[in-house]
Amino acid sequence: MNEWCKKTPLEWQALLHKELKVCAHEKQQHQGWLFTVDPVSANIVLVSFEPDGKASIVTVMGHAVETVEVLNEGSDAISNRLVSLFMPVAPQKHSKEELESKKRSLKEWLEKNHIPVSEQGNSPETLCVAGVLKIDAPYRAEDCSGANEIILSRVQNLINNNPTAHTK
Amino acid sequence: IRTPVCVLRMPRGPDGSSRGFDPTSERYLALCPTTISSSDSAVDSATFVEEQKARTVLRERYIRSLLAMVKKDVHFTMYERVKVNAVFGASDIDILNFQVSDLQTPLGVQKEALIRCPDIISYSFSIDAGLKD
Repeated sequence: MNEWCKKTPLEWQALLHKELKVCAHEKQQHQGWLFTVDPVSANIVLVSFEPDGKASIVTVMGHAVETVEVLNEGSDAISNRLVSLFMPVAPQKHSKEELESKKRSLKEWLEKNHIPVSEQGNSPETLCVAGVLKIDAPYRAEDCSGANEIILSRVQNLINNNPTAHTK
Repeated sequence: IRTPVCVLRMPRGPDGSSRGFDPTSERYLALCPTTISSSDSAVDSATFVEEQKARTVLRERYIRSLLAMVKKDVHFTMYERVKVNAVFGASDIDILNFQVSDLQTPLGVQKEALIRCPDIISYSFSIDAGLKD
């Protein structure tokens, strides 16, 4: 295993959003803004913004990395651009009443389908399914999080089929 | 004989004997590095928590970059100066294989294929950047 793969996640995280020059096997060289390093494979995801409005993404496999050099420290503007490329769009703002009605509608729908759903004591805006799945505001299918993929996909399906939700 | 090493990494399977990632599986022991990078096992729990947090951030971003690549034409640069294009489909959880379609090889187009990640040096694709600004 090479030096790069042996780095800790904290060392990788410290390089986020910086401009890097990566040398890899067979004399390959790549340059770009670091979007992430996969903690499992140590793959390096570099982004460069082209003048024609496209972004080109190069991933160098962790096992092929020889040297990594920081060229540029990056800025908030670059961080925002990188994040907006890949991350889901932030949910639009909802009023308290709207959220409350969305929550009620979802809760009734899940209960109608015999899914045990509860509100958590310390954070009542989060719905909890059978203790293993959380649904955060604004209660869309993509707001679910949980480690059990089977429960996750079933609940997400249900949310998408909720007849009383008019979000789509 | 290689002795199994305790593996510490982010994506754990759902539970026990379920379908997810299993560090004790024969496949994992045969194909994956014997250990995933982390500080010494002797580190205090605060560092451990920090490290796990960093791992989740990095891993989520990586998976989102894979999601952005689905159905895109991807250019793979592999060992021995092999360069091929293919439409990306999916990856397995430990980034050992990529499933691709329409793999353009020097011998013709392969409709469906698996690319072994250890054979790849780098891959690239492009997306529209201006839309979500």
